[in-house]
Amino acid sequence: MEFSIDKEAAERLARVRQLGATHIRPLGIEADRLGRPVPPDHDYFKLLLANGLGRTRWLPRDPAAAQGEARSATKSGESRVVGTSRTSIHIAEEQAYWDRGVSTATPGPGMSEPALISMGTEDQKLRFLGPFVNPDKPRWGSFAMTEPGAGSDVSAIRASCVKDGTNWVLNGEKSFAGNASRADWILVWATIDESLGRAGHRAFIVEKGTPGLGNFKIEKKMGIKGYESTSFTLQDCRVPAANLLGGEGHYASRAGFKGAMKTFNAIRPGIAANAVGIGRAALDEALAFAREHERLHDVRVRDRLERIARKLRMARLLTLKAAWLADHELPNMIEASMCKALAPTVAYEAASLGMELLGAVGGRGDHLIEKLFRDVKAMDIVEGTGQIQRIVMARQLVNLPNDNSGA
Amino acid sequence: MFDFSVPDELALIVETTREFGRAHLAPHIRDAEAARGVAPAVAARFAETGLAALELPVSFDGAELGALARALVNEELGAADPGAALALDPFGPALYAVLEAGGEAAVREHLLPLLGRPGARAVLITAHDARLETHGDRLRGLAPWVPADRADLLVYVTDDEVVIAREGIMAKPLRGAGLRAAGASELIIDAPIIARFLDGEAVGEALAHARIYYGSLLLGVLRQAAEASRIYAMSRVAFGKPIAHHQALAFLIADMRTAVDGARVLVQEAAWHLDEGNPAESLAAAAFAEAIEVSTFVGPNGIQILGGHGFMQDYPLEKHMREARALGLLLGGFDAAREEAGAHLCAAGAPVTLSVGER
Repeated sequence: MEFSIDKEAAERLARVRQLGATHIRPLGIEADRLGRPVPPDHDYFKLLLANGLGRTRWLPRDPAAAQGEARSATKSGESRVVGTSRTSIHIAEEQAYWDRGVSTATPGPGMSEPALISMGTEDQKLRFLGPFVNPDKPRWGSFAMTEPGAGSDVSAIRASCVKDGTNWVLNGEKSFAGNASRADWILVWATIDESLGRAGHRAFIVEKGTPGLGNFKIEKKMGIKGYESTSFTLQDCRVPAANLLGGEGHYASRAGFKGAMKTFNAIRPGIAANAVGIGRAALDEALAFAREHERLHDVRVRDRLERIARKLRMARLLTLKAAWLADHELPNMIEASMCKALAPTVAYEAASLGMELLGAVGGRGDHLIEKLFRDVKAMDIVEGTGQIQRIVMARQLVNLPNDNSGA
Repeated sequence: MFDFSVPDELALIVETTREFGRAHLAPHIRDAEAARGVAPAVAARFAETGLAALELPVSFDGAELGALARALVNEELGAADPGAALALDPFGPALYAVLEAGGEAAVREHLLPLLGRPGARAVLITAHDARLETHGDRLRGLAPWVPADRADLLVYVTDDEVVIAREGIMAKPLRGAGLRAAGASELIIDAPIIARFLDGEAVGEALAHARIYYGSLLLGVLRQAAEASRIYAMSRVAFGKPIAHHQALAFLIADMRTAVDGARVLVQEAAWHLDEGNPAESLAAAAFAEAIEVSTFVGPNGIQILGGHGFMQDYPLEKHMREARALGLLLGGFDAAREEAGAHLCAAGAPVTLSVGER
């Protein structure tokens, strides 16, 4: 057992912290004020690249192309992944501490990365993750599952895919996909037959500029405005068969849907870490405000701050535990959902308490805590709501039947 | 690097404890409550495990293991019977105050003699539990409840002092709300002080260890309550399906598991920092506070899931709720723990950023 951060992660955290103060937070505040994401041609993204960020954790088999040292090998064997899940969790928390929106705008394959690594063929990894190993310019990947009528119930997606010779033809609408309009490619989930439910699901890499991919609409949000959440349509969009993630063989039985769910298992602790980061920022601001206004001697104030600090620490540890299990390739479905269910509510409470301590100052709409209060709510919704997490947990804990919901 | 695995050197001890609890404590929880103690045969089996010397210094043939070992062992004992666990440990958390303030010499002088007396108990009382007064060389006052039927040694700790007494302590038996297997009594004290140590640092360290001690027993109770009710909910059928498959209960069961796992990582983190020699008093206090807060959620809901059965003594859930509540009253309970943790968080000049345990 050990409860400390290793030196390498600490050094990386220190760099994020510095960048956070000089860039991430100011850009987040600016995006919030202007109501638009950080533009893709912003110098900040070039700076990230120059600092070795905005890359993929994946490494090709050819070590000549490798950057840094590989720490863990995937079970699938061929290619490797840099760094541990735990280090990623530390970084995800620290980035969100400074600004969750801007951190989500970080170039890279984003949440498609685990799907590509776990489901993709070697050729697909090379084609779509390869450009992110040592990127020549800021590049993004995007992930699109949600539709206007299918959020939590992901089995209800209606975007269709039909095989036509050596191509697939995609039609449908996708919602709230991060970084989609600026992405080199979007990992799109579609179905061969709605009546098949999960068994009908297929995932495709749809490349930028493919005819029929369009109508990008950057949504207006309550918070986390630093990155784009984008809706788009697919109209007779022809995608080569080579872009079917994992190849046809992958979709025998329920493997396709399970692939998507495995992706979420990998992503959920990251969202939990984001929530902890936002909550920590709110706690720090609340403490600073209370100290400045000489409220810390008040037991009523102190008890509430203590509770939030304790719950945030707990959420962080549960998140790290889920990541630690992942690093050892041990089952972590319960723990991944547990931290994802818990951390956002704790972080919301932190921001809400911050507003309470600010009092009328919170009502002005110009304090950082007020922004965090708007930012944080999304964490309990994205990548599976708190309710979906409980369903996932209950499946494991009490064999809750699958027909209860689509998660 | 964060690592949540049980260390190899402790795995066997944890397994031994779990097996002892399962085989020798859990089957007799109602007998132990009625008898206000464990049967001699059980005590003999416990002696064979060597667990009694878990934290004793090696110079006394102890294993001299630390807070993490204690946390892991007590979770297992608490899951079986926390009252019996207290009855089986003659020193209890009084060890920490004596050792931290007086060193091995004080342990030899005051605690070791208890080992020769079957059933002997040292009792730790804090100024939160009882307002005792020192008059010259005497300690006087009344402690409303201690989970013991006798006090062969009394260790009283204030903010900055450890006071030890042996004679002049009258134990008046009580029914006890919980932990009856450990006994329950009111202490009427008019005792000559045999040793006193003015050492605030030692008190802080001792309280941190004591909070890990009780907090991990509490954690074990909560784990057991959550598990027992989860398993029941999978077999009990209502409205045509197992009650666990109704979402209201499925979600409750998931939340109970989360609450228990959350308290556990806080207890283990605090224990680890204590063993590393890092400042951990506020971490231990926060961990104890969390376990107590969780007990008010998991305790009653464990019963709730069993409905009427939960209220009956045929099932252990009612005992779990009482014991969890009782454990959370010790060392000043929730408020004292929050005071400690909150004072640290809000200390003037303290860094604003929540510390991560970097080194």
